[in-house]
Amino acid sequence: MNIRQRSVRHMLSSVIPSSIQELATGLSKESYLAADDLTVAIHLALHLGRPLFLEGEAGVGKTEVAKVLASMTGQELIRLQCYEGLDVGQALYEWDYARQMMEIRLLEARGEGQDATARDIMSREFLIARPLLQAIEATADGSRPVLLVDELDRADEEFEAFLLELLSDFQVSIPEIGTVKAEVPPVVVLTSNRTREIHDALKRRCIYHWIDYPSPDLESSIVLKKVPGIEADLARSLAEAMQRLRAMDLFKPPGVAETLDWAESLELLQEGALSPRVIDRTLGVILKYKDDIDSVREAGLDALVG
Amino acid sequence: MTASPIRDLASFANALRGRGLTVTPDQVSEMAQSFLYIDPSQRDQVYAALRALSITDPGHRRIYDEEFRLFFEAFHRPGSTTEQHSRLASVTEHKPIIEAIPEEVTDETTTQAGASAVENVAARDFTSLDDSDLAEARRMVSTMLWQPSNFRTRRWAPNKGGRRPDLRRTLHGAIGPEGDLLAIRMKDRRIRQRPLIVLADISGSMERYAEMFLVFAHAAQHRIQHVEVFTFSTHLTRITPELQKRDPKVALSRVSTAVTDWSGGTKIGEALADWNKSWSRRMARGRPIALILSDGWDCGDPDLLGDEMARLARSVHKVIWLNPLAARAEYQPATRGMKAVLPHIDHLLPAASVHDLAGVVRLLESITGER
Repeated sequence: MNIRQRSVRHMLSSVIPSSIQELATGLSKESYLAADDLTVAIHLALHLGRPLFLEGEAGVGKTEVAKVLASMTGQELIRLQCYEGLDVGQALYEWDYARQMMEIRLLEARGEGQDATARDIMSREFLIARPLLQAIEATADGSRPVLLVDELDRADEEFEAFLLELLSDFQVSIPEIGTVKAEVPPVVVLTSNRTREIHDALKRRCIYHWIDYPSPDLESSIVLKKVPGIEADLARSLAEAMQRLRAMDLFKPPGVAETLDWAESLELLQEGALSPRVIDRTLGVILKYKDDIDSVREAGLDALVG
Repeated sequence: MTASPIRDLASFANALRGRGLTVTPDQVSEMAQSFLYIDPSQRDQVYAALRALSITDPGHRRIYDEEFRLFFEAFHRPGSTTEQHSRLASVTEHKPIIEAIPEEVTDETTTQAGASAVENVAARDFTSLDDSDLAEARRMVSTMLWQPSNFRTRRWAPNKGGRRPDLRRTLHGAIGPEGDLLAIRMKDRRIRQRPLIVLADISGSMERYAEMFLVFAHAAQHRIQHVEVFTFSTHLTRITPELQKRDPKVALSRVSTAVTDWSGGTKIGEALADWNKSWSRRMARGRPIALILSDGWDCGDPDLLGDEMARLARSVHKVIWLNPLAARAEYQPATRGMKAVLPHIDHLLPAASVHDLAGVVRLLESITGER
């Protein structure tokens, strides 16, 4: 029985929702409102045992999915934040050199230096497990932690090739120790902001989903859910204004994270309705480039209120 | 549902392949498996499930939508649901059907040897060459020798003459009865080739130069690891995939089918704006060099051109502008377009003859530096 068949068996006795409807309810309970196609993609990722690959603009909720899945299933969230130059040492494991040197010196001081072998120095206690190995080891008791590999596009191609191999069989060969295998595959979520193309081979290994900006309906529901106390009308006008903003030719269109920030700022400022004056005061909350702020002002703030 | 759902799925996958997408047999098998977890009578769920398992780019969605419509009509015919489920369940236990992906048809064109190589063919302006000389020039451009321009990455690799101790390998050497002598192994930053981004003006005034330049870009693509090539006149077209064919003739004929705005008027600013918006975030990593070929005759907005050029210059390591007119001794960048871009260019070079292009190669080879 290969690792994925084992995981499917295991699934039946764990807390992973068995139907799409249950999943949608579970996500909603964690205050995450997902579009229907995203829910189907998550459902398939969980049940087919494949990693979930989420691409989309900044601020649409890709990283959130992993966090929500972890809290929904009551499992640990293990996060690997990618950056350029990320290598095996930082992602998988590293030896605790300082301790190893000390151990060698201690053995020598005790007069056992001559008989010292690699086994004394290269054992598990001198190994520092980094997120990928942590995720594999956390499955030892049969639980499925959520492994989040965030912003994979910031890492380089060598790392992608390495990750591709790891995601196929979830086992690691540590030359000095042996092979560490996962009991069950962790739930894996990969995210990318698409600042570079990820290799097709890796994307095909996963359930791929591009998260669009939400529709105004969905976005106002999200605001209502996550910003307690806000009026439904205001939430709606925020969502519509955001949609208009995204249709403009901005360098960095605002994401859902910005919508939520905006809603919270308006609550803080005790503004009950959207007007050009209010938008003018709070434009810096939603737009992060001066060029964009200028373009929006030039286009006229009344256009945003609708 | 028809008698053979898996054949439906396989032909759906084939339809997608016919439209240019890649769908592996593994994916087809997953698509079949996914039916166990969704309700096959719900169009939305089938749509979302099959899409999550077949496409890997939001740009492919339109193609998927069109093919899916046809697929689902054929797929969803009257039949009892339990019967359909049991048929699917038995099918997924079998091995996936390996659908042979049709072999690519390659043109077997042979390049003609031109007339005997005359030395001054290399020195003469492209517009002054006749057909046989042109063929010779093309041959010379496509066989130029390059040394790639490199830069240091953030990755470390073992290197005897490196600058930083490699603790892991040092420790390996420290184990055992070696006493107090420690052989310190070193490591250093890995060296990588700079990517090259080529933007070629193909408007009316540039015609002959652009053609040669594309031969040059094709040669670059087969010598340097990461090259992205675009053409622009009235709009921007990415031609990197077309240029990947080994045979320059085949590659260029593909380019001429792909590009629709040959010899139009030029809107350089608009083209750069398009590149900045749609491609720069994806390609400006790895500290690339931007190579732009244009004579600067622009029909667009000069302020836009200046702004977009500034933005492009900020996202790449160096900007090299090639202007065929710059070959003339009395050349001064006088056109409005050239004036707008001049402050943002690192190097301005001529590009009117084979010698000029050789000069470009030498310049590219000489660009080093960390960032």
